[in-house]
Amino acid sequence: MSNNDYQITTSQTIGPFSHEGWQWAVDACAAARLETSAPTIVVHGILYDGDGNPIDDAQIEAWLPEAAAAESAQEIPGFRRTPTGKAGEFSLRLSVPERAAGEPAAGAPVAYVTVFARGLTKHQFTAVFLEDDAKLAQSAILAQVPAARRDTLVARKEDDGTYRWDIWMQTAKETVFFDYR
Amino acid sequence: MKFDEVAPGVWPSLIHPAYKSTVKRGPLQPALRIEAPVPVSRNITPAPRILLPHDADLTRRGQGAPLGEKIVVTGRVVDEDGKPVRNSLLEVWQANSAGRYWHQRDNHDAPLDPNFFGFGKMMTDDDGRYRFVSIKPGPYPWKNHDKAWRPAHIHFSLFGNVYAQRLVTQMYFPNDPLFPYDPIFNSIPDEAARQRLVSRFSLEHTVGDEMLGYEFDIVLRGRGATPFGL
Repeated sequence: MSNNDYQITTSQTIGPFSHEGWQWAVDACAAARLETSAPTIVVHGILYDGDGNPIDDAQIEAWLPEAAAAESAQEIPGFRRTPTGKAGEFSLRLSVPERAAGEPAAGAPVAYVTVFARGLTKHQFTAVFLEDDAKLAQSAILAQVPAARRDTLVARKEDDGTYRWDIWMQTAKETVFFDYR
Repeated sequence: MKFDEVAPGVWPSLIHPAYKSTVKRGPLQPALRIEAPVPVSRNITPAPRILLPHDADLTRRGQGAPLGEKIVVTGRVVDEDGKPVRNSLLEVWQANSAGRYWHQRDNHDAPLDPNFFGFGKMMTDDDGRYRFVSIKPGPYPWKNHDKAWRPAHIHFSLFGNVYAQRLVTQMYFPNDPLFPYDPIFNSIPDEAARQRLVSRFSLEHTVGDEMLGYEFDIVLRGRGATPFGL
């Protein structure tokens, strides 16, 4: 291939057969063996298609740049990867380090999230925020999202202390996906 | 780094009816272009110990040699300025020489090879170069339509130097007769962008009587990397 003018390489779907090849990183960040010096929370949900059917063969990655220091003993600090389960479900245990008041991270997402799936020709970037983050109103990212769609990025606290966040690929509930400038 | 808008037709269509499962899975709203300093300036930093012996030689993961045509695949990963994407994680996975994946859900009636699992990983070097040894994958049927056969391909997963460079793609082999019939390949509207996914045979990288060489360069999005290589 000759590509001297540096035109980008395009995307292709991960297809249905990523699991064996991607498993090493799933294991490396598994909740059961997570080493972190920060408090953790759980964000869980279901990945849905346009008919409201669960997507059971996807891969979800989460990146927690603020948690990298707290997770320095991990093989990939501040990173999670999980396949969705039979019911489209996923669960992410995330480190949430204390944020100093007024620091630039105020209102930052608890994780940057990437979605990959069979039938998804290009991965999709999104992000998840916690509804009880007192600095949510200061979020520079949420401020760029039309108000009517911000809820699609906010995880809701459940009675058991975990956070529920579903990802919708389509419908009126379609999650906001990003293209970073 | 800065991420220019991608030219129309370069990304595959998110809804491409000929590739049936896109219809209900591709987002319908355009991606929202936003300013966010962290995704365009930082990334994961995997520990060196993630790399295991033979991770970049897929022919040496079993008890014996796998069946099929042994190949070496190499190329450079650069950004849109042509600067090397250094020390960056790259994963590959693929079918075996008979077109069968080592995967529970692959029920294609072709043999598994007990000596070939078909996945590996590596880091790019200081010049952005990667290199791995494998077996040329076979084409396989995928039931999307009548006589739906995928052209032979190797899946690539790249993390880049900043988070927003993340890319998953597929590398194809030159002169595959299945190209005109494959809805996944043809979900990319731009002809030149499609052709950039086709590797080229390389006599230079061919290793004696052992294996044929294929070259596949990759350009990730992003300009204006800092001197740190980010």
